Amino acid sequence: MNSQNSQDSIESTPVTRIAALAGAGVKVGVNYLKHYGRRAVGASSTDAELQERNASTVYETFSRLKGGPLKLAQMLSIDSNLLPEAYLKQFAKAQYSAPPLSYPLVVRTFRREFGVEPSALFDTFSQTAAHGASIGQVHRASKAGREYAVKVQYPGVADSLRSDIRVLKPIALQLLGLKERDVQEYLKEVETRLLEETDYALELKRSMELSERCKHLTNVRFTEYFPTLSSARILTMAWVEGVTLDKFADSTATQEARDVIGQALWDFYAHQVHVLRLFHADPHPGNFLVKDGQLWVLDFGCAKQLDDHFYQKQFRFLDPHLVEDSARFESALMDLEILLPTDKGPERERIIELCAQSVSLLALPFRNESFDFGDPLFMRAVYEMGEENSRSEATRDLQGRRGSPHSVYVNRAFFGLYSLLTRLRAKVRTGLPEALRAKVT
Amino acid sequence: METRERIIQAYCNHLREHGKPPETVFVFCKELALSEREFFTEFPSLEAVESAFWEDLVARVVLAVEAGSEWAGFTARQRLLSFLYAFCEESLDSRSLLLLRLSHIGPMEKPAYLKGFERRFKAFAKSILLHGVSLNEVADRGRLSTLYPDALYLHFRSVVDFHLKDDSRGYERTDAFIEKTVAVAFDFVRTQIFDSSLDLVRFLIPAWDCHRE
Repeated sequence: MNSQNSQDSIESTPVTRIAALAGAGVKVGVNYLKHYGRRAVGASSTDAELQERNASTVYETFSRLKGGPLKLAQMLSIDSNLLPEAYLKQFAKAQYSAPPLSYPLVVRTFRREFGVEPSALFDTFSQTAAHGASIGQVHRASKAGREYAVKVQYPGVADSLRSDIRVLKPIALQLLGLKERDVQEYLKEVETRLLEETDYALELKRSMELSERCKHLTNVRFTEYFPTLSSARILTMAWVEGVTLDKFADSTATQEARDVIGQALWDFYAHQVHVLRLFHADPHPGNFLVKDGQLWVLDFGCAKQLDDHFYQKQFRFLDPHLVEDSARFESALMDLEILLPTDKGPERERIIELCAQSVSLLALPFRNESFDFGDPLFMRAVYEMGEENSRSEATRDLQGRRGSPHSVYVNRAFFGLYSLLTRLRAKVRTGLPEALRAKVT
Repeated sequence: METRERIIQAYCNHLREHGKPPETVFVFCKELALSEREFFTEFPSLEAVESAFWEDLVARVVLAVEAGSEWAGFTARQRLLSFLYAFCEESLDSRSLLLLRLSHIGPMEKPAYLKGFERRFKAFAKSILLHGVSLNEVADRGRLSTLYPDALYLHFRSVVDFHLKDDSRGYERTDAFIEKTVAVAFDFVRTQIFDSSLDLVRFLIPAWDCHRE
């Protein structure tokens, strides 16, 4: 309790939250002034440098808030296409640190949920959190020689989320230079997912179900869950000692080890999306651990179910012949409402052209039997395409108003997966999933 | 049941049923089939009865938290938090009385019937502050430190006030309120802001000291 950091000072009421965020807006402004001031006196100050400074100001502000804003930062950080690179780096930090909950409040939560104190359920129970989760924190406990990770939720999280997002939306949009219509689906998704994530009983059910149905996958491991030690606000699982995926990626791990982990990650997603049609929609590096050369999957708070109808509409784009057949390609775009009947003439042509480009690029890993994510050109091309799209007015309209809201989850999962694999520099056996292979040939 | 307990219980029942305290000791004793001598042996006034009830409530909670297995290892901040959470829980049994007697007055007001409440809480606050000083968690600032219990009492009253107005499920917003305000309070006792602002307050309101015991 004596160790305090800046994340300790939680902004309390919506008013102080607004004040804190408005503060960031001012700081960003000041950074711009400094930037232009420097230019005026002839010193060199690059745009990248400026963005870097702004990003860390914004991050500092976000880190002082928890719950909704922290989660929003996490969500936005997943989609490389939404944020400039500098912001992305800072936001990626938000995936780890959350301010601590006092131990007496943890005890109170236990009393409420189980009617007894933690010491009655476990032999040992850490008073301070081992690490934070976005809407709660994880305590380490032990009982009869077994180690447990006990996730405890912040009180009143569900109630404050909605107001957080409402307060945050206009400010975040302005700070990040985004237009509401571009991210509307996103914000809606954040709210829905967040509310879902506050239900640990649902998370427990999903975690157990998904891990059962994925347990046959090579090198993919799941922690054990304990329903009797879990409730709507407390989730207990077996403690896993490992390194987080990003630490592993940045370590001196051999290419072989990287490929094994990358393959496990790829197989895990392929199986979920194409076979189970229910997938882990939160692919940020903090949700995966590497231990003994195997991939451990944590945190199923955010899972997305795809219905067959949508699945068919979305994944027919993986068919390599589709882009070549313009009539079929157009009707596929119409089905997903990316192309609207009102689109006419040269605009229609341009939309089709742009979609063909992005489909060809994003489906690239599926085109070959294996794909080397170590090649930085691929992710850079994806990123540049996003940059280009977000710069041109015409495609901004496209992004915001079109497409199925379900695509948001799929995109998020795949962008997340691609960037994790790129970070791992893994070479992965890819190819089309079995389910689609038959239809294509 | 002891006469003292009987009197307190009857007083509370009267308060709950009629929405106000008994008019006179005479009427109250009649209801209770008690002689005035018996009443006055235990309490000097009707207000003293109520004061004792609130004091007992605080005392019960203090006893309960101090008996907790991990109490000895708790910091001052953890002790204060434990007390506040436990109080909110315990007070649910007397919520109708709290609503009746505390919801219409601000945290700064000090009606006679809350004397015992204040006294018992401040005694507890002193003990945890002492503990905090011994752990270097709270800075001892000589004469100024004597104001800490007053500040903590004011905080306690505002927690109760918040709890009474809270309509969130399971009073979760109160939990968050306690968590956040205690964090701020302990930030204050560590920094100079507290000293400077209290110094200013004492300069502006010389009457402050008169209200203290």
